[in-house]
Amino acid sequence: MNLPVARPIYTQTTRPVPAGEGEALSLRSARFRAEREGEWRRLEALLDRVERRGLRALSFDEARELAPLYRRALAALSVARAITLDRALLGYLETLAARGYFAVYAPQESLAGIVRRFLTFGAPGAFRRSATALIAALFTLSIGAAAGAALFASDPGWYDVLVAPAAGDGRGPEATREDLREVIYSGADHEAGALGAFASYLFSNNARVAIFAFALGAFAVLPAALLVFFNGMMLGAFVALHVDRGLGIDIAGWLSIHGVTELGAIVVAAGGGYRIGLALLFPGPYSRRSALRHVAGDATKLALVAILMLVVAALLEGFGRQLVQSTEVRLAVGWSIGLAWLLWLTQRWGRA
Amino acid sequence: MSGVAAAAAAPRGTYTLVPPEGVPIHLALAPVGLRFAAQTVDFLLTGLAAGSLVVILAVSEIVTFELLGAVFALLFLFVRAPYYVLTELFWVGRTAGKRWLGLRVITADGRALTPTATVLRNFMKEAEVFLPATALLIIQGVSLVPGIAALLWTALVLIIPFCNRRRQRLGDLIAGTVVVTEPETRLLPELTASGTADFVFASHQLDHYGAFELQTLEQILRAPEGVERTAEATRRQETLEAVVAQIQARIGHTDPVEPSECRPFLEAFYAAQRAHLEARQLMGERRADKHHSKPEAPAGHHAKGSQNPAEFQQQESKP
Repeated sequence: MNLPVARPIYTQTTRPVPAGEGEALSLRSARFRAEREGEWRRLEALLDRVERRGLRALSFDEARELAPLYRRALAALSVARAITLDRALLGYLETLAARGYFAVYAPQESLAGIVRRFLTFGAPGAFRRSATALIAALFTLSIGAAAGAALFASDPGWYDVLVAPAAGDGRGPEATREDLREVIYSGADHEAGALGAFASYLFSNNARVAIFAFALGAFAVLPAALLVFFNGMMLGAFVALHVDRGLGIDIAGWLSIHGVTELGAIVVAAGGGYRIGLALLFPGPYSRRSALRHVAGDATKLALVAILMLVVAALLEGFGRQLVQSTEVRLAVGWSIGLAWLLWLTQRWGRA
Repeated sequence: MSGVAAAAAAPRGTYTLVPPEGVPIHLALAPVGLRFAAQTVDFLLTGLAAGSLVVILAVSEIVTFELLGAVFALLFLFVRAPYYVLTELFWVGRTAGKRWLGLRVITADGRALTPTATVLRNFMKEAEVFLPATALLIIQGVSLVPGIAALLWTALVLIIPFCNRRRQRLGDLIAGTVVVTEPETRLLPELTASGTADFVFASHQLDHYGAFELQTLEQILRAPEGVERTAEATRRQETLEAVVAQIQARIGHTDPVEPSECRPFLEAFYAAQRAHLEARQLMGERRADKHHSKPEAPAGHHAKGSQNPAEFQQQESKP
């Protein structure tokens, strides 16, 4: 490595006193100021540049100088509070120290670094730490689905109660096998074009469920759990209707290609919500505020994973489902993508 | 002084940052109005960016007219969310709006801002403001209950910053961040440097005032001397003369001071008084104000100046 030769910083033991002023200043605090004013000005000049153009604007030597100058200004502030009553000076040092702090303790991140860390370490780590909450969320969804299917089996009239008319788009209990088949294979629900479908998708049911499941977790888990449970019931009734018409494998394919990812996103988002809610309900030895802060990082990462999954699901629903018409391929694509999510989130990918 | 104690002692409207070096720094909290203005600027900027993208899409006929609304909402979200997170991260706590209005996000624990904190506080903003707003827009027809719920939620969220000492909104509370105003540095000239020896004060004459009066005098002397209009100059001169008369009466200084000598007199008095008080302070005697020499300060006054709540409570609990 070819670094520029650095000028030593700490060799200057006596500070220069401006000529002719040393005698005139009888006040200790005035001398204190006169001795250090030069280095404060120097720090100020460096900070001006850092604030306008970032740390990159500094040369190697200047960047090296910044932190010691800041620490000396902070030490001077501490001394000045004890020895001087000059309010202008105290105010100046206070603001100088604050600006120095902003420059020295700036987040030293690069976009690539953040993304890499999130992908290899942050997201999988948060996922693994949230295993309990995630299993609970998956459990809620499955129980809901089972309940929905059971209700439909007992009385098909439940379908209208559980599945909102908009979500079913004409696929009600009165629909024939051919009607349902038509929707599954024709792409009739995509007359608006792929991009439009993509846009409308994100405001469609499941994305909203994921968002609310996360946000409602903060209100002590129960509303989020109810939401996920109800969503599961909808899914259960919807699938049960198709199974009843002998379209079980076809609807599995139709749902799988994006649904594995999409339902995964709901589970992940709800898991994040559960963690927040659990921290508020059972903070353990911490105060509620610090318990919340403790899980907030993991919950955020789960929310980001859920968003990523929803976007992928939207792409799959918008494009993939029309392009791929064969049930086998739909199943294969959907579940292998699901497996890929699981692999990503459960394996270790090197160190942070 | 621990961080908690420092924060507790800080006056209202300021936030005490304790950096890892351990010297507390006092910063002015950002007024809620300014923060709102900065938000508006950012909102308009990102809205414009998303809007122009939509216009491009519409002109090139990729999107049909009916879908423009949905596409705009989607693009707006995709522009806005990364914008806040990345600007706050790479411009050290400043979005464009905050930069323009001189605001900055810092952490409450004195460490560097982390990506998690910026993501958290800005995603909470989505949940706090944009989600109920979008919900209100999306809810079609007359559905009263969700509308009222969204309104209540928005009202609650807007009240929170006024209800806590650090003016944190919900996202700030969860992410552990505080918004402060950008400190402005200006080093004013040393006032004691120009002192003349024309006026001499005896030690007992300097025993009357404390730090508060000294710093008030400093403020008067440092008042900016802008364009000297006659009316303003006369008023300033009158102030100086009144201050000189007041000080002379108090300290028992009887020599007459010419009107033209007022400023030099005050500067000399300032220098002498500061030297006196600073010397006392070095010996451990801080004189806060002119009441310092009263032998028994009234209980209320003492308690107000006291930094120690325990002491105050002891006094209160006595019958």
